[in-house]
Amino acid sequence: MDFDGYNLDFYDEMLLPDGSPREHCRPLYDALRELSPERMKSIQDGVSRAFLHEGIFFMVYGDEVSQERIMPVDCVPRVVPAAEWRHIEQGLTQRLNALNKFLHDIYGEARVIADGVIPADLVYECPQFRPEMQGYAGPEGSWATLCGSDIVRTAEGFRVLEDNLRSPSGMSYMVATRNAVKAGFRRLYRASRVREVADCGRLLRATFRELDPQGRPDPTVALLTPGVHNAAFYEHVFLAREIGAELVEGRDLLTRDGFLYMRTTQGLRRVDVLYRRIDDLFLDPNVFRPDSSLGVPGLLDACKRGNLTLINTPGSGVADDKSVYPYVPDMIRYYLSEEPMLANVETRLCRRQEDLEYTLDNLDKLVVKKVGESGGYGMLVGPHATPEERDDYAKQVRMNPADFISQPVLAFSRAPCLVEGAMEPRHVDLRPFVMQGRETRVVAGAFSRVALRRGSLVVNSSQGGGGKDVWVLEE
Amino acid sequence: MLSRSAEGLYWMGRYLERTGFICRLLQLQAEALVDRPARDIHAGWRRLYASIGREPPGGDLGDAESDDFTLADSYTLAGDLTFERSNPDSVWNCFAQSRENARQMRHCVSAEVWQRLNLAYLRIRDMDEPDIWAESPEKFYAGMTAEVAAIEGAASATIYRDEGWRFLALGRALERAQSSCALLLAQTEIDEEAGTADADTDWGCLLKALHALEPYQLRYGVAVEPGAALDLIVTDPLLPGSLARLFDALEGETEALAAGPAADAGAAARRAAGRLSALVKHHWPDSGDRLALLRAASDQSLELHGLLASAYFAYAA
Repeated sequence: MDFDGYNLDFYDEMLLPDGSPREHCRPLYDALRELSPERMKSIQDGVSRAFLHEGIFFMVYGDEVSQERIMPVDCVPRVVPAAEWRHIEQGLTQRLNALNKFLHDIYGEARVIADGVIPADLVYECPQFRPEMQGYAGPEGSWATLCGSDIVRTAEGFRVLEDNLRSPSGMSYMVATRNAVKAGFRRLYRASRVREVADCGRLLRATFRELDPQGRPDPTVALLTPGVHNAAFYEHVFLAREIGAELVEGRDLLTRDGFLYMRTTQGLRRVDVLYRRIDDLFLDPNVFRPDSSLGVPGLLDACKRGNLTLINTPGSGVADDKSVYPYVPDMIRYYLSEEPMLANVETRLCRRQEDLEYTLDNLDKLVVKKVGESGGYGMLVGPHATPEERDDYAKQVRMNPADFISQPVLAFSRAPCLVEGAMEPRHVDLRPFVMQGRETRVVAGAFSRVALRRGSLVVNSSQGGGGKDVWVLEE
Repeated sequence: MLSRSAEGLYWMGRYLERTGFICRLLQLQAEALVDRPARDIHAGWRRLYASIGREPPGGDLGDAESDDFTLADSYTLAGDLTFERSNPDSVWNCFAQSRENARQMRHCVSAEVWQRLNLAYLRIRDMDEPDIWAESPEKFYAGMTAEVAAIEGAASATIYRDEGWRFLALGRALERAQSSCALLLAQTEIDEEAGTADADTDWGCLLKALHALEPYQLRYGVAVEPGAALDLIVTDPLLPGSLARLFDALEGETEALAAGPAADAGAAARRAAGRLSALVKHHWPDSGDRLALLRAASDQSLELHGLLASAYFAYAA
């Protein structure tokens, strides 16, 4: 494969501005150069076929029908050198540590508010704040046990774009992508000394085992899925198997005398740790949405009585809310007395008058996001929108300013992808997975999402994005 | 194991078995279209529809003696039984249901089984009648029969023999027993109505459908005699799909299941399986009314299904 005509306007993960490879990417670059376009196509076909055979689908929700789609995965891996990874790992550990302290604090004494670090209304009016959880203290101070933060590299370095503390997904895609890609680059993979990601299930299991509500060593773990129609059902199946949990739906569960049970062929069996992959509001119809059939009546009571650990703890979402996000660096300073190792992206909260005016005046230069949305839904990429789209969006912002934040359009890094038989640069992000039980564990790899449409900055799979393998090199 | 997982595996087994059963009968029908007289083709369709308890489209199979009743009508009937989405027993629906149960219970089946099932499903997902009639429909049905056999082989070679396996095996054995009973009942009723049996054609075809023609010939010689064929299919302890073997398997699997939470239903299920086994071993040889015994076997199989569900899947908690 040649790189003739390969555009190097932006920071490229593989190539220097002069077109030569970065040192840690040289083996991959050399291997790519030696591959014929036919061989490259066959590797790419093998990767796509692996996903098809394995039945790795995700659902795309349309206006009328939902569709089963295969996740597009680019076969060219992104390589991360050990020193860079160390920095990311330390930065994310620091960040999750602070986020958990913040959650523990706001549902407890709320010192961070009393000390004026973060405005009270931002926390208490956040739609993700769950007053029902006030006074709860889960095991090991682990509120958000599993976190998947999205990181991009800008001209200034790595930036955390957002934290996902509710149901961060992607771990199964990370493993499936790795298996498919390494089969295509067998010799290169062996020679590159890439760190393993297949142990993510073992790490998660070890973390969950530390979180038995009564501190017992071998809790019964179950994974609560909304069911087969959920976008991430494949992931739920994968994780249940990897962590040795039963894959349960709400209808398999019931509570009795403050304990949670699942219906087995041998009768009711107690569940100690429930890794739930459904939203807070559907968890318990006695407390949240009474019409929810996905959850279990009495679930929250079992949790608050100390008979069940819910992962992640309901109410954790307040810490990944887009309005709370700008305060994370201050949280790190406040709780840990440290400087943040990973910076945020400059963010304006439209709830503040001056930020609102700035946002509306510069809509054509900004990315505006709706606070409660995720997955790339409800977002405006100003420079790519038509004047009419911007006007419509401005009306929505004016109506409910507190629902919106704005950020500059980031020139984030690109990496080579195989597009229509040629190497072309595409924007990529990085989603590593961090777990916090008694100790903090970081999976030595990540799921990298790639904006496959030419010129696009949106990496979400529901919006035309795809996946990419991330090779973290050994020290 | 989780009750819903056990139920999913049970249904995966049932639907997979049903797919194989219908494909096998359709393969024989498609082959018959090449060289058999209209009467045989007509009898084949009648047996097939009766064995799955379904009315043919239009409610009538038409004139048994008319040679017009060949390709055009058979094309419609095969379509109804193969790709018709509104027919719950069509090949497409049975296979899709088997795959859907496996997808939901993906964590309970081996990768080998899932991948075979998924790949075969992806191959037929967008197919329709014209695709299989363009060349030869029997090739499609033979391919599907082989696919089902390969999936069952992969399951047998790779699935851990825990409780989940038992429910999968129970589903397969019960489905096969019910299908065989229904097929035998359908043919016996057709014979009774006609006052005579077309031994070589109808019973020969039936033996073939149940993988029993070669064993029959080994044991009884080339000429097919309906009474002997029936005895072989019901009682032969060496024939893989004989009712005797299937009922023994059901008895063994229900005995091996630990007493569930609904102890009464569990015990009743074990007794029902035992009765089925005794029916062919002890009642069949001395009975003059084979039709009544076949009906009893069919009813008791259905009862066993209900008891398993109340004992392990849908008990009151």
